[in-house]
Amino acid sequence: MLQGALAGLAAGGLYAVLAVCLTLMSRLVRVVNFAQAATGMFGSYVSVWLAVHIGLPSWLAVAVGVLLGGALSVALGFVVSTWLAEASTGTRSAVTVAALLLLISLSFILFGNKPQPFQPLLAGPAFTAGGVVISQVTVATVGLAVVVAVASWLLLTRTTVGVSLRALSERPTTAELLGIPAKALSAAVWGVTGLLGTVIIEIVAPSQSNDATSLSMLVVPAAAAALLGGFRRLDLAVVGGLLLGVVQGALAQSEQLSIARYFVPFLAIAGLLLWSQRKEVWDAAR
Amino acid sequence: MRLADTRWPLAVAAIALVVGSLLTVGLNGYFAYLGVSVVVAAIALLGLGVVAGSAGMISLCQLTFAAVGAWVVSALNVAHAPGGFLVWLVLGGLAAGAVGVVIGLPALRLRGINLAVVTLGFAAAVDATLLQIQFPGTTTGVSTDRPAPFADDNAYFLLCVVVLVICCLAVHFVRRGRWGSAWAAVAFSERGAAAAGANVRTAKISAFAVSAALGGISGGLLTGQVGYAFPSSFTPIQSLALYVLAIMSGAHLIDMAVFGALLWVAVPELLKRWGVPQDWGFVIFGLLGIQALASKTNLGATIRELRHRRRAGVELAPEPTSDTAVAPAGDPVLVVRGLSIRFGQVDALSTVDLDVPENGVLGVIGPNGAGKSTLVDVISGFLPQATGTVELDGRPLTGDPTQRARNGLRRTFQQDRVPAGLTVASYVRFVARRRLAATDITEALRFFGCPPPTTRLEHVDVGARRLVEMAGQVLAAPRVLLLDEPAAGLPHEDHLVLAERLRQVPARFGVSVLLIDHDLELVRAVCDTITVLDFGEVIASGPQAEVLADPAVRTAYMGETELL
Repeated sequence: MLQGALAGLAAGGLYAVLAVCLTLMSRLVRVVNFAQAATGMFGSYVSVWLAVHIGLPSWLAVAVGVLLGGALSVALGFVVSTWLAEASTGTRSAVTVAALLLLISLSFILFGNKPQPFQPLLAGPAFTAGGVVISQVTVATVGLAVVVAVASWLLLTRTTVGVSLRALSERPTTAELLGIPAKALSAAVWGVTGLLGTVIIEIVAPSQSNDATSLSMLVVPAAAAALLGGFRRLDLAVVGGLLLGVVQGALAQSEQLSIARYFVPFLAIAGLLLWSQRKEVWDAAR
Repeated sequence: MRLADTRWPLAVAAIALVVGSLLTVGLNGYFAYLGVSVVVAAIALLGLGVVAGSAGMISLCQLTFAAVGAWVVSALNVAHAPGGFLVWLVLGGLAAGAVGVVIGLPALRLRGINLAVVTLGFAAAVDATLLQIQFPGTTTGVSTDRPAPFADDNAYFLLCVVVLVICCLAVHFVRRGRWGSAWAAVAFSERGAAAAGANVRTAKISAFAVSAALGGISGGLLTGQVGYAFPSSFTPIQSLALYVLAIMSGAHLIDMAVFGALLWVAVPELLKRWGVPQDWGFVIFGLLGIQALASKTNLGATIRELRHRRRAGVELAPEPTSDTAVAPAGDPVLVVRGLSIRFGQVDALSTVDLDVPENGVLGVIGPNGAGKSTLVDVISGFLPQATGTVELDGRPLTGDPTQRARNGLRRTFQQDRVPAGLTVASYVRFVARRRLAATDITEALRFFGCPPPTTRLEHVDVGARRLVEMAGQVLAAPRVLLLDEPAAGLPHEDHLVLAERLRQVPARFGVSVLLIDHDLELVRAVCDTITVLDFGEVIASGPQAEVLADPAVRTAYMGETELL
C-alpha cells in the first residue's frame, strides 16, 4: 500500500500542476480550460517526433515542444478573448471543449493513435526513505507543483502585474479603462499555463500510459483537484492533486480495487460539488 | 421541414414514417445499415439538444449513457429476460435516465460548467472500466438478435425510424409543455424561473434525465444493429464530438438534430471513400464548433433566420373604454414587520414595516441605493439570511422563491428575465402555472399592450418583454404581485398609459400590487398609499398626498423641491 501510495505521488504532482493551471485560468481569464492537458500532449508529441524523425538533440526537441504548447494555448486564448470577451464562463469553456476534440483528432492524424516512443528526461531513483524508493520524476513533479503554486501566489499578491491580473479578472472593462493591457495579460496567462502544462507532461509522459486520449484526459483528475479549492485556491488545488495521486496509487496495488481507481477522480468531483453547494447559489447577483 | 416549430407535429411524423418506409424499400443493404447509424446518432443528438440547447448545460457523456442502454440490452439478452428486444430497449432508456439523474445531482445548483466537469469525469471512468470488463455477451459470443419481423437491415432501419419518430414527438410535446418552458426559462435565468414558481432543480434534473434516456435508447438500438456492443462505440472522444456537433447544428431543433446525425455519418463515410483519414472529420467538427460558438449562432438558427424575418412592433394604445371601477382598498393582505438585512458592514434594510392593502396598490419610492430592490428580493425569498416577518393573508410566508411564488406571492424583475427561446403565449402559460383559456391570454396581453401571443420573444424589445412578464404574472392570479420598476425600458409617453392599466389591476384581476418605480408621475397616478425608503429605513408612510408633501421625503428623494 505505502509503496503504491508513494508511486502515486508522481501522478499526484502532475495533477497538482495541472490543477494550479486550471485554477489560474479560472480565476484570471474566466475559463475552465478543458484543452489544458491536450495542448501539453500535442507539444510533447511534437518533441518526440522531432527527436525520433528529425534527429534533433533531445533538449532542443523538448524546448520546441514546450514553446509550441505555449503557442497553441495563446492561440486558443486569442480566439476566446477576441470573440467571446463578454460571454459567460460556460460558453468560453465550451470553446476549449471543441479545441480538446480538435487536438486529439489532429494528433491521431499526424502521429497515429498508438503510444509514442518517449525518451525519459528523468529516470531512476532520487533517494530511498525507510525502504521505499522515491523516483526522480516524483521529486520533479511534486517540486514543480509546490514551486508553481507559491510563485503564482507571490506574483498575484505581491506584484503590480498580479494586481493588474486580479483587476482584469474581477472587472475586465474597468481594468481596460484604467489602461491595463488586457489583451497582452490574458495572452500571457494562457501562454504561461500552456508552457507549464507541456513541461509537466514532457516530464511524466515517458512513465505514463501516453496515448493521446489518456494524456488529454488528465484534465479530469486535474479538475477534480482544482475543485477542492473551488477553482480559486491554489494551495488546496495542490493538496487535492497530491491526495488524488496517492489514493489512486494505493488502490492500484490491489486487484479487486483496480476498477475503483478509475472512478476516484469522478467520485471526488461529485462529492466536492455536493459538499460545496450545500447553500443555495443563484446564477446572477441580483 | 420545420419539425421544431410546426403546428402539425403528427402530420410531419406521418410524412417521416412514409419517407422511412419508401427508403426501406429503396435502399440497398449497406445504405440501410448506414441509415440505422444516422437514426442512432439522431436520437443521441436529440437528447443533447434537450440539455445543451434547451437547458443550456454542457454535457460531455452522451455516449456513456448510450453505453448504459447498450449494457442493459446486452445483459437482459444474455440473461434471456422476458419481454424481448423492444421491452429491453425501453428498460435501457429508463436505466440510462436514472443514471442521468444521479450524475446530474452534483451539478444541480451550480452552473453548467460544473456539469461539464462531472460528465467528462464520468465518461473517462466508464470508458476505462468498460475496456477492462467488456459488455455482457461479447466475450462469450452471445449476440443480441433483432426482433423477428425486423431481422434484415432494411426492416431494422424501418423499426429505427419508428423509434426515432416516437422520440421526436415525445420531445416536441414535452418541450411545448410545462417542462420544456421551464428548461428554456432556467437556461436563460434561474431567478426568473424560480420567481415564476418553477422548481430550478426539477427543471435541470428533468432535462438531464430526458437527455440521458434518449442516449440510452440510441445505445440499445446500436446493440441491435451490430449484435454486440463494444467499448470503442462509446468513447469520451465521440461524446465530445457529438456535443460539439450538437452546438454547431443547433440540435435543440428537431430537424437540425436529424441533419446533424446525417453529418455525423456522412462526413466520415465520404472521407473514407476519398481515402482521407477519418479523424479529419472530428477536426472539421472542432473547427466548425469553435466558429459557431465564436459567432454565437448555429446552422439551425441561421436557416430559420433566413426563413422568417419579422419584427414585432408594440402598440400600447389606451383602451377605448375601460369602465372597471377601482374598488376601495381593504385590509392588509401582505404584512411586513421588522425586515432587516446586512451585507457586511452595510445595513441594506433595517426594521422595515409595510402593508399592502387588499385590492390596493402600494407604492414604494426612494432614491437610488435606498434598498427598494433588496426589499423585493427579501420578500420574494431570494435573500434567506434576512430577519423579520412577512405574512401573506395572515399566514407566515417562508421558504425558497419557488414555494413563495406557488403560495401566491409573485414578482417581476428590473432586468430582462424573459427567455428569448419561447413564444409570448407559451411564456405566459409557463409563468401563470394554471389552466388558461386562449381568450384569457389574448385579453390580458391586449390589456397590457403586449405583442400577439404567437410572437417569438426574441423579436420583442426589452420594454415590451417586461409587459409580457407582467401579464403572465398577473394571469398567475397571485394574492400579491411585486413590480420592480415595470416602466423601465418603455418610452416615456407610455408610462401614463401603463399607470392607467396598473390602477385597474386589483379590481380586474383580483391581484394586490406593490409597485416600485422611479417615475413619480407613474407612482402618483397609480398609488393611493406610499412608503418611502431612504438608506434602508422607512422615513414616511401613508396616504399619497401627505407623504409627498413631507419635507423629509422631498429632501431625501429629490435633494430639491422644484420637481414636485
